[in-house]
Amino acid sequence: MAERMKKFSLKWPLITLSSFLAFFIFLVPLYGASVYSFKGNGGKGHSWVNYQWLIHQDGFYPSLFTSLKLAVLAGLLNLLLMVPTMVYLNLKGQRYKSLIDFLCILPLIIPVVSLAIGAQVAMPKMLQNSEYELVFFFVIIALPYTYRALDTSLQTVALKTLVEASRSLGASWSRTIIRVIVPAIRSGITGALFLTFALSIGEYTITSLLHWETFPTWTVVAAQQNILGAIAISVFSFVSAIVLLAAIALFAKKRSKRVEVEA
Amino acid sequence: MRKSDRVSSTLELDGVSRHFGPVKALDGLDLTVKPGELVALLGPSGCGKTTALRIVAGLEITTTGELRVNGVRYNETPASQRDMGMVFQSYSLFPNLTVAENIEYGLRARKIASEQRQKRVREMLDLVDLGPKEKSYPHQLSGGQQQRVALARALAIEPRVLLLDEPLSALDAQVRGQIREEIRRIQIELGITTLFVTHDQEEAMAISDRVGVMSHGKLEQIDTPIALYNSPATPFVASFVGQANRIPAQITAKGKAKVLNQKVNISDNAGSFDEGSQVHVIIRPELLEIASESDTEATRGIVALKSFLGPTTKVGIAVEGAPLIHLNIASRDVRKLEIGDKIAFKISSDEVMAERV
Repeated sequence: MAERMKKFSLKWPLITLSSFLAFFIFLVPLYGASVYSFKGNGGKGHSWVNYQWLIHQDGFYPSLFTSLKLAVLAGLLNLLLMVPTMVYLNLKGQRYKSLIDFLCILPLIIPVVSLAIGAQVAMPKMLQNSEYELVFFFVIIALPYTYRALDTSLQTVALKTLVEASRSLGASWSRTIIRVIVPAIRSGITGALFLTFALSIGEYTITSLLHWETFPTWTVVAAQQNILGAIAISVFSFVSAIVLLAAIALFAKKRSKRVEVEA
Repeated sequence: MRKSDRVSSTLELDGVSRHFGPVKALDGLDLTVKPGELVALLGPSGCGKTTALRIVAGLEITTTGELRVNGVRYNETPASQRDMGMVFQSYSLFPNLTVAENIEYGLRARKIASEQRQKRVREMLDLVDLGPKEKSYPHQLSGGQQQRVALARALAIEPRVLLLDEPLSALDAQVRGQIREEIRRIQIELGITTLFVTHDQEEAMAISDRVGVMSHGKLEQIDTPIALYNSPATPFVASFVGQANRIPAQITAKGKAKVLNQKVNISDNAGSFDEGSQVHVIIRPELLEIASESDTEATRGIVALKSFLGPTTKVGIAVEGAPLIHLNIASRDVRKLEIGDKIAFKISSDEVMAERV
């Protein structure tokens, strides 16, 4: 009996169930949208006409470029702010860790409207009149995820001894962070970058409230003119996001694998 | 790097203390390590030996006292500017760098020219005999090889003092012996002043010029390994260094005691005891020998334990009114001895150490 119980595993039923759920919730709507996005004029036949309409719309390239630019800047600023902070918290600032953790969770608790209006007032005038103010908002909304991605990664390395080894060999703090810590927590950094980028490129509410135009806000306006074009926009956004994130993940994986292959 | 490249340094700790709240991790440590000398700090966990090493490395601050290298005060000098080469228990090699890049790391931090760096890396690889592994990554090396890279990395910067923080404790027994000898060979070859922290007395005794035994943040005794073993200054040193039996005894007169029905002299190191007082005498296993059955002064007991250790065998004898008494006897003399056999033994030394009960 015990032998039979041992053989019974939940592994395959769970995999089957999750595959079915993924299929119905995720793939079926995506498949349906893809089919409709390729409908020809008047909903007949199959063609690229909706995608051609999309790329010839005014504001398509500028808004896409703005979104990409702001997402990249948000990712970099987030790492610049959070990597040294998390290193400090894990090395010497253990007693401040719960406070910083709490502060980083606040963007999930505070309503986006309050955050957008309240934080904008606190921004320097120079930034209030520039689309770059969005970079700071994107960093804020990514904080809960960045904190966890970096913290988990830092917990897996012998941070203290690596830092002490580096310092005792005469390295400065900046050299220690760049040459020792960053490579050791590459997976966490990639994850943090990944999440900030994904959140930034798809952010709509704050951008709309502050009257800036990025790809998501442009999409909403453009989609009102052409229903099949709107479907093409959503499929395009979805596939582009997946391709971009996969490219980042692949790059990070390649770099970490290179360490093993080179030797 | 050879002896002439940098003059060996003198390391001095003068009344150095480190307190963590009410806990005195280090309590007024006075220690001088002469140029080219290898001094080991030996002691149980929590005795303060690692704290002392970390203070020298600049990884821990002092509460009181002064740290000097070649007479210059080092208390306020940051770790990155101390020129101390440190080897850690857990190797602490940088996982993303090759063996050669790990060794080169400290030289790059010092902005040494590329040509010189390459030359030094090659010298270090030859020194630790890891030339063919220069392009390997740490995870591709064995524990022993990783620790040799860590040693080469620490030595590449031509440190004023080499600090070894239990460098052998993560290695298996056979490799430990090899690396231990290698550390000593390199230390002598380079003539580098070295402070070595360990809890393993065999390690400390085997490669050190002097051994300092620490307990509760204080240095109990510092001396050559032979002096430490033969003339321990305190009962703690006697019991911590080497094996020792603690046997109940009674003081019969000033400097004399009766233990296991035998009369012994008590060494001066232990202080004075009142006549009639109960003490524990500390006797090393090799100072007890098997006696003939007819010897009237011998103590009698029953063999309760027999552990073969190669050339010697450790024999545990159960005696009434005393804990299990251990003897180290040449294996050839106890071949026929079995557990449960009756046995007679006696103390072969005239003088033993005692401590209050």
